[in-house]
Amino acid sequence: MIAYSTRRFAFSAGHHYTVDDWSTERNARVFGRLTVPHGHNYTLDVTVRGPIDPETGMVIDLSELKAVVGETIIERFDHADLNADGAFRSRVPTTENIAIVVWDLLIAKLGEERLWQVRIWEDPTLYVDYRGGGAK
Amino acid sequence: MELTRVYHFSSAHQLKHPALGAEENARRYGRCAGTHGHNYYLEVTMRGQPDPVTGMLIDIGHVDEVVRGTVVDRVDHQSLEAVPELAGVITTGESLARSFWDLLAPVLPAGALARVAVVETAKNRFEYAGEGR
Repeated sequence: MIAYSTRRFAFSAGHHYTVDDWSTERNARVFGRLTVPHGHNYTLDVTVRGPIDPETGMVIDLSELKAVVGETIIERFDHADLNADGAFRSRVPTTENIAIVVWDLLIAKLGEERLWQVRIWEDPTLYVDYRGGGAK
Repeated sequence: MELTRVYHFSSAHQLKHPALGAEENARRYGRCAGTHGHNYYLEVTMRGQPDPVTGMLIDIGHVDEVVRGTVVDRVDHQSLEAVPELAGVITTGESLARSFWDLLAPVLPAGALARVAVVETAKNRFEYAGEGR
């Protein structure tokens, strides 16, 4: 019996969209107002999956999940400039790429057996779901 | 990877089968048989991989234009029964989800549409992902 547990987190971060190899004009044409530094209140929903431990009745101790995501993601990105973070040195910090970065950081701590999905909300009108590489 | 964009519209509607009389409709649909309205949310989910250079799965500005032009602007502050694109549709949440899918799938980039969700109230959510899925 597999169950899924989701915990919600929040962080506020700044970003802007620029491809370094492109001219100012091309960046402006493709990204428009997104080339100007701005910020969002991001919401992160982390879903883990697994069997329910018969002893604890839990898939995962949510306080463990809170500690892992807090140390790995929230402390790193809350009130940060995403463009200044090494993870985005060669990647535009779109919601799509933030989902990939968060997934890659969390899979190293939680493992493929447990991490099921990350959902990043840029604001209440846009979210991205990522379950790792390929068609998952 | 899936990317979901959330839209909002407010519309009037009533549940009414055209072949049934008022009494039978009232028996079948209860209070929903009378004209009323909702603050709807429409969630449009697209599937794909982000472009390696731009980091974007799809041009969200283009999607907004298509969804607003095809659905949102046509139903917002309208009676759903009077919308030509919904002619003959009993405007339940699930039927709206299917109708919106049918309107959007041909005008969004090929294969991009993964799912349409209609949120009628905070308590009612309906999803449609295409025929047989």
